[in-house]
Amino acid sequence: MRFNLVLDLPDVPGQLLEVLEPMGRLGANIVAVIHQRDVKTERGTVPVQITIEGDKETLDKVMGALESKDIHIIEVDGVLRKEQITTVLIGDIVEEDLQDTVAQLNQLKGVRVADLDLKMSDKEGNSATKMVMEANSGLKKEVLKNVKELGAKKGFLVINEV
Amino acid sequence: MRIVILGFGAVGQGVAHVISLKKDYLQRKYDLNPQIVAVTDSSGAAINPEGLDEELLLNTKTEKGKISSYPDYGVPGVDSLKVLDEVEYDCLVEVTPTDIDDGEPARSHIIKAMENGKDVVTSNKGPLALSFKDLDACAKRNNVEFKFEASVGGAMPIINFAHETLAGCSIESIYGILNGTTNYILSRMANEGSSYEQTLKEAQEMGIAETNPYQDVEGIDAACKIVILANSVLNLPVTLKDVEVEGISRITSESIALAKKEGMLIKLIGEASPDALEVSPRLVRQGSPFAVGGTLNVATLKTDLADDVTVVGKGAGSVETASAILSDMVNIWKKRK
Repeated sequence: MRFNLVLDLPDVPGQLLEVLEPMGRLGANIVAVIHQRDVKTERGTVPVQITIEGDKETLDKVMGALESKDIHIIEVDGVLRKEQITTVLIGDIVEEDLQDTVAQLNQLKGVRVADLDLKMSDKEGNSATKMVMEANSGLKKEVLKNVKELGAKKGFLVINEV
Repeated sequence: MRIVILGFGAVGQGVAHVISLKKDYLQRKYDLNPQIVAVTDSSGAAINPEGLDEELLLNTKTEKGKISSYPDYGVPGVDSLKVLDEVEYDCLVEVTPTDIDDGEPARSHIIKAMENGKDVVTSNKGPLALSFKDLDACAKRNNVEFKFEASVGGAMPIINFAHETLAGCSIESIYGILNGTTNYILSRMANEGSSYEQTLKEAQEMGIAETNPYQDVEGIDAACKIVILANSVLNLPVTLKDVEVEGISRITSESIALAKKEGMLIKLIGEASPDALEVSPRLVRQGSPFAVGGTLNVATLKTDLADDVTVVGKGAGSVETASAILSDMVNIWKKRK
């Protein structure tokens, strides 16, 4: 059988090797690797498509190995493993707010804050933060609702995805 | 078809202009001969049962500033309701300035015309956003046509599009950028990295934002349109006070820069669905149908059979908005003929 994987890898040397190593070691046959460096996100990650072939047991072992290496698997056979959810908050944001918000979101089952970016402003109430969350697919609506409630409690303007 | 135009600002003048431009076309294609029999503005009226000259109407307004100075047929100081009583006509074009507190005087004009058995075309959001149900019921009771395509998205087809072109589809929800001024400001901020205050000022200097930009930038204008769409397309009996509204005045250049890092833009999005009635700044992906720049409007209708259908068009402008009014007039004519 075959697995078509889409991975999200940091654009630094050695990343592809990290991914391919367990595939070779565990005996999966690599059918194709598409490495598109031109569609890099500004966060510095690159989507990589890999097709592997082997019996089910081998492929399951490979998936387990990738997961234990914390490699970010976006898609398996066209099905989204995780959804990325982006949100931007505006307001008087201080460090404690961020820690608190991240902690509360991480408490939700199947949700993880993957990236956090903060731009402080010298003008009051003008600081902004961007959070990228990863959630098991199907959780998006719930996550967005939670973010909105958390933001409203702290008096932030929450800008969610459409 | 005898027409009364109440209100002779940008949209009213646009209507006179497109009628003048398309006279031969309308005659040839639809056997329609629109005759403007009365026009009013704050100075009074110009009335001629034989029909007023469109170009002379426009020249009078430009040169004298008052429609009541129309040669021979000008009537200074006359009230619009009185004009509706005294003039013989078939269709009212209600394009007086929008009022979102009580919807007047447009609301009274529309009701009066309907009660007198006249068809009504309007671009006026105020009365629609405040008392859609009453106006709709009044039109049905009096067996007249009531059309308002121009009230949402200017020239962008959406209401008639949903009812006619997408007939047979159930429309589940609508998302859209329904205000050109805020889209211009947010697009400029994204392109130039400029602050909200500075960009708003620039938009005012260019005549894109009004001197008092409150209704646009605080999302009220978009909220009115969401109410109209919710009522007319989704059959939800809601009014302006049911909409959760957040404008763009709190958006900073920092937040736009952060969104861009993730390949996203911030846009003022209106949403109408059975679970949400909302206008708020939202993130949209660059390259998605919502990533339109300038003063463009865009709307996506989520349907059961056709999946997502998206329309884009000019949301404002005198002739552009008048094109939607003309299309309503032609449709009424086809039905009545």
